[in-house]
Amino acid sequence: MNEIIHDYWKAYLWTDGLHITGLAMTMWLLVLSIAIGFCLSIPLSVARVSSNPILRGPVWFFTYVFRGTPLYIQLLLFYTGIYSLSAVREHEFLDMFFREGFNCTILAFALNTCAYTTEIFAGAIKSVPYGEVEAARAYGMSKFTLYRRIILPSALRRALPFYSNEVILMLHATTVAFTATVPDILKIARDVNSATYASFEAFGIAAVLYAVIALTLVWLFRKGEARWLAFLKPQSA
Amino acid sequence: MYKLAVDDLHKKYGNHEVLKGVSLKAKAGDVISIIGSSGSGKSTFLRCINFLEQPCSGRITVNAEEIRTAKDKTGALRVADQKQLQSMRTKLSMVFQHFNLWAHMTVLENIIESPMHVLGISRDEAVARARKYLAKVGLPQSVEDKYPSHMSGGQQQRVAIARALAMEPEVMLFDEPTSALDPELVGEVLKVMQSLAEEGRTMVVVTHEMGFARNVSNHVMFLHQGRVEEEGHPHEVLVNPKSERLAQFLSGRLK
Repeated sequence: MNEIIHDYWKAYLWTDGLHITGLAMTMWLLVLSIAIGFCLSIPLSVARVSSNPILRGPVWFFTYVFRGTPLYIQLLLFYTGIYSLSAVREHEFLDMFFREGFNCTILAFALNTCAYTTEIFAGAIKSVPYGEVEAARAYGMSKFTLYRRIILPSALRRALPFYSNEVILMLHATTVAFTATVPDILKIARDVNSATYASFEAFGIAAVLYAVIALTLVWLFRKGEARWLAFLKPQSA
Repeated sequence: MYKLAVDDLHKKYGNHEVLKGVSLKAKAGDVISIIGSSGSGKSTFLRCINFLEQPCSGRITVNAEEIRTAKDKTGALRVADQKQLQSMRTKLSMVFQHFNLWAHMTVLENIIESPMHVLGISRDEAVARARKYLAKVGLPQSVEDKYPSHMSGGQQQRVAIARALAMEPEVMLFDEPTSALDPELVGEVLKVMQSLAEEGRTMVVVTHEMGFARNVSNHVMFLHQGRVEEEGHPHEVLVNPKSERLAQFLSGRLK
């Protein structure tokens, strides 16, 4: 055990000497895909609750496809499937983009978490009390101001407990990244396992690292909820 | 010149005609109480004035500026110019039965929100306004950082009135402002409304509070089945009702 930690701690935490690996890579995958997914999901969730079927329909279809198929298959499609198309290989930018396993992984992860997040936010938008929306209209707010100042701030706060769940699930989902040769925590653990045959130690260290990230995330979201959801809590004396 | 003039307003839900041509004229300083049993259309009428409900026909004029409308496919009125409607709404602050404060904002944030983000005044100016009107509705500065859900209904409604005042509107619309309150909290809200009336603010109040209608307002409209059954000065209308309907309504209410 000590020997493994001695030999591989750097690889587990941030680098194998050549690339970013292990914990740092897992965090980078998580932060990047969550950030992209979050930014895309806000306009998409507004479109998702629109009364206009031309806006609502495509978003519904997108979330249906990405929530209806396993992330692993989505990653395989982006990594090996798309690159097998000659049209993609012949296109300069697409060829460059899809040749990199990391790009394919981020694309798959971001779109996948975006689909789930869109549904979470859309549900939260629908749960904003109608009276509050009506008050905003009665005070002369334009639709844009109404969304920017009232509906989205209220909905994003209400969505926080559900969103924290999605982020933790996404953390665990990053373990499929090794499929596209991305050296995340699990990839390092597998390498250590093949090099030392110490399976319990190799994967045990990985499990501990994931648990530490998850606990940190839970703690951060707890802090966030205390701050942004104070308005829903009963008042303490 | 009238602050607010509503002319021959009609409203239908499907085939059911809720308002059959209701008109209202309010001069500066008028306090108009609209009374009537539930289903008489009084709340719908108030909500049509600022287009929270789409009237089917009629004309609405605020400060001599008529809101431009067009007919939509179903024959209902549609506002022709959203910008004009938005600017008109800033002149008609509404106070709701269920307060409708923005739950995720503190008291102060609730009050400065529309002045800052609709009227476009600076934060400092908005905060100064908010403090002035919080004092006016009788709330101490210590409530500023509270969330609405941590206050009593009466306090929430007074915050809602301060929010309406902070827009410095031409006319204030009150939609049954005391109906959702516990009986012992009604008084504090009515007192605030009375002080606003004495200041000379123009108010249109849908209410079940006959005491308020009689003592504070200078004009009472009795709505029955979508029509103005009777209207006039409260001392005439409420003391010597001419129509049988109003007499019945009042005998059920006034002891």
